[in-house]
Amino acid sequence: MSKPFLIATIASLVALSSSPILCAQATTATQSSVERSEKWNNDPFGGQARTGGCAPGFPCANPSFYGGKKEPPPRRDLSGIWDATAGGGVQASGSAEYPASYPPQDPRPRAEEPDEQGIINPVPYTALGEAALKTNKPSGTSIRSVPSVLANDPVDICDPVGFPYMENFQFLTIELTQTKNQVIYLGQFEHEWRIIWTDGRELPKDPEPRWNGYSVGRWTDDYTFVVQTVGMNEKSWIDHAGRPHSKDLRVTEIFHLLDHDTMEHTEIIDDPKMYTVPWMAHNKLILHRESPDFDIREMFCSPSETRAYNELVGDPINPESK
Amino acid sequence: MRTKVTTLSLMAVGVLVLSIPLFAHHGSAVFDTEKTVTVKGAVTEWVWANPHCWLLVDAKDDDGNTVHWIIENQAPANIANAGWSRSMFKPGDEVLVDVTPGKNLATAARTIGRFKGRVVINGKVFKP
Repeated sequence: MSKPFLIATIASLVALSSSPILCAQATTATQSSVERSEKWNNDPFGGQARTGGCAPGFPCANPSFYGGKKEPPPRRDLSGIWDATAGGGVQASGSAEYPASYPPQDPRPRAEEPDEQGIINPVPYTALGEAALKTNKPSGTSIRSVPSVLANDPVDICDPVGFPYMENFQFLTIELTQTKNQVIYLGQFEHEWRIIWTDGRELPKDPEPRWNGYSVGRWTDDYTFVVQTVGMNEKSWIDHAGRPHSKDLRVTEIFHLLDHDTMEHTEIIDDPKMYTVPWMAHNKLILHRESPDFDIREMFCSPSETRAYNELVGDPINPESK
Repeated sequence: MRTKVTTLSLMAVGVLVLSIPLFAHHGSAVFDTEKTVTVKGAVTEWVWANPHCWLLVDAKDDDGNTVHWIIENQAPANIANAGWSRSMFKPGDEVLVDVTPGKNLATAARTIGRFKGRVVINGKVFKP
């Protein structure tokens, strides 16, 4: 390049850098400290509304879905922050496909029922499964729910949520990260995490039971990731309606990317001791990609905070207390 | 684009899910879901915590006696998405709140209910 040409090039670049267009870009790159602090998920109405997914029935101030990019997703990559709330992730009455609820017009009471007769979508229990269901006393909004002080849900006393319960109740925001041999799942609800191995290992044959079990996953095509989980201990429930499982439970999940910002989650419960046939707790439940700078609000089960709440509200409101 | 995605996703959620209340823990077991009580009074405290947020309100009953109400809501992570925040109530705020009362209101040691919908803070309707 000749010297005059080089000088002219540099001169024009200098002129360009003081143009309004590049100045605007420079301002975005160096955000004020106020704007940087608004990236924290505190008081969404105090600043920029960094709300996450929107719960059914609750309108959102400012949904922060990434933008609904319809372009293809990255190949063989689930990484990101994903919101399941708008897809129906709260599941306060039980797994999304099988809420323990009566049809809307049914006049029966919505609590303290002995069994699940007459619910919208009956679960295929074996006799053992039905008996095990009845020993689980859920809080929440399912038809068998009891006052929380009479419930025996491990989650109510801050026991680990376990798998698959962590996806079948308060399935709000999750973060997925991929390494060479793992998918790391971080769950907002009660701050649970689990590891899905992608190194081709087989599931353990006689596993020491764990709350979260043992998970292996593999890509069946560029946009479909299938996970198998076994070895879950019998202390954990399947969902907030108290659905039981034995140690023989096997859970299959299908994460399927529809486009850059949309993922489907399908979850199949297979436990022949408790259920006559496998059933889908989730059937293509939709997750939306959050902005990569989205701050997930903390949600710990704190025994001391739970105790304080029970003393003030939970115990006194039990109709059996005076 | 963003609004469209949200609308579609809300539409994709069936009537079934929309009709299910979000409240964990208690549901219908301890609350008289058929009743509504309107609580009017002054805020003494707003607790923004897991597993539930709760608002303490000193209201007056028909005889002019002070009734100490405890009005609960879900956890911050559930309700922040609908516009609730830890700074929305301050001690001394005059509020009007529609409440689903506890079933044992007459006999309980405390007057407890749960947020039902309408919330007015210092004369301004809270719209999420």
